[in-house]
Amino acid sequence: MSKAIPPSAGVAARVIVGAVLVYAGAVKAAGPSEEFALVIGSYDVLPREMVRTMAVFLPWIELVIGWALILGVQLRVAAVASGALFTGFLAALIMVQLKGIELPNCGCLGDAVHFTPLQACVFDSCLVALSWISWKSAPHALSLDSWAEGGYTGHTHGKR
Amino acid sequence: MDRLIRLLASASLVLIASVASFYVARGQRKPFSAVAPAYRSQGPEDAKVTIVEFSDFECPACRVAEPPMRALLKLYDGKVRLVFKHFPLERMHFWARRSAIAAECAGKQGKFWEYHHELYDHQEEWPNDKFEERAAGYAKKLKLDAAAWDACRKDPAMDAAVNADVKDGENAWVGSTPTFFINGKRFVGARDLAERGSPFVEKELKK
Repeated sequence: MSKAIPPSAGVAARVIVGAVLVYAGAVKAAGPSEEFALVIGSYDVLPREMVRTMAVFLPWIELVIGWALILGVQLRVAAVASGALFTGFLAALIMVQLKGIELPNCGCLGDAVHFTPLQACVFDSCLVALSWISWKSAPHALSLDSWAEGGYTGHTHGKR
Repeated sequence: MDRLIRLLASASLVLIASVASFYVARGQRKPFSAVAPAYRSQGPEDAKVTIVEFSDFECPACRVAEPPMRALLKLYDGKVRLVFKHFPLERMHFWARRSAIAAECAGKQGKFWEYHHELYDHQEEWPNDKFEERAAGYAKKLKLDAAAWDACRKDPAMDAAVNADVKDGENAWVGSTPTFFINGKRFVGARDLAERGSPFVEKELKK
């Protein structure tokens, strides 16, 4: 099945998803957590006491997953994690729309980029698809995983 | 063993890259000026607590923050200084800049706070095509010199003053309104001001 995805497409997919996560994570981690807490709170999907903790830790989770994808470290785990993250964001966006809540900002890429809810849904859906491609195309020669395993064998190590 | 070392090295690289990205992004932060013209400040200059508010007259959340802010200023009268900075969210609020300039020109005649109160207290009636009529109505009610107020609104310096505040807000990474800096500590939104801001003021005053 993985042979259906050209290796270059796999690398491109994971670099794109990784770059988006690194950008989003860095901007939010370096920015004021109060701003991001306000955005998370406006989704009204988390208990209030969890909102501030999430505002501090979520950007770091995005950063670590993003770099793991770009560098190819624990590629399958990172691809699953990014897919889960974007599926979660997508679910939260849909819930907000169903509840009729107007978001000041989707919080996707910090304050620099403002998506409409529809744009944010399309954006997240594309990233879920790219995460899936990253997962399907792993392992890959251009990754630290292959270096850690002592070289790329071209096999999937019997995992799929 | 060799594999374990390589795995640990790979994981370390991910962590180092994450921390490095954080510091690169943090380097984009710039200092911001908390200074505003005297007519946009109230309270003693040497107050123990200074609140810098970035706000937008058309923003409903800013209106919601008005009662707790007025209550706070009343409670700590003479002990707290409030500095108002314009941060019109023009992406969402078409009339925000015009209202900021109208208030700024009322400020030039010493009536900024009165005009500020009019805009927030009647927020439901002016952000529409009746803006000009309503804005002039508030100016008349406050007995402003209508000709001077009108001329002032056409002065490019007013636009520049709003732009300078927006730049300060951007440097301070203000993303939403209202955002308050109480002795430099950030509080975002009316609820944050009421729940965390007021106790913080109390704490700062006891220092």
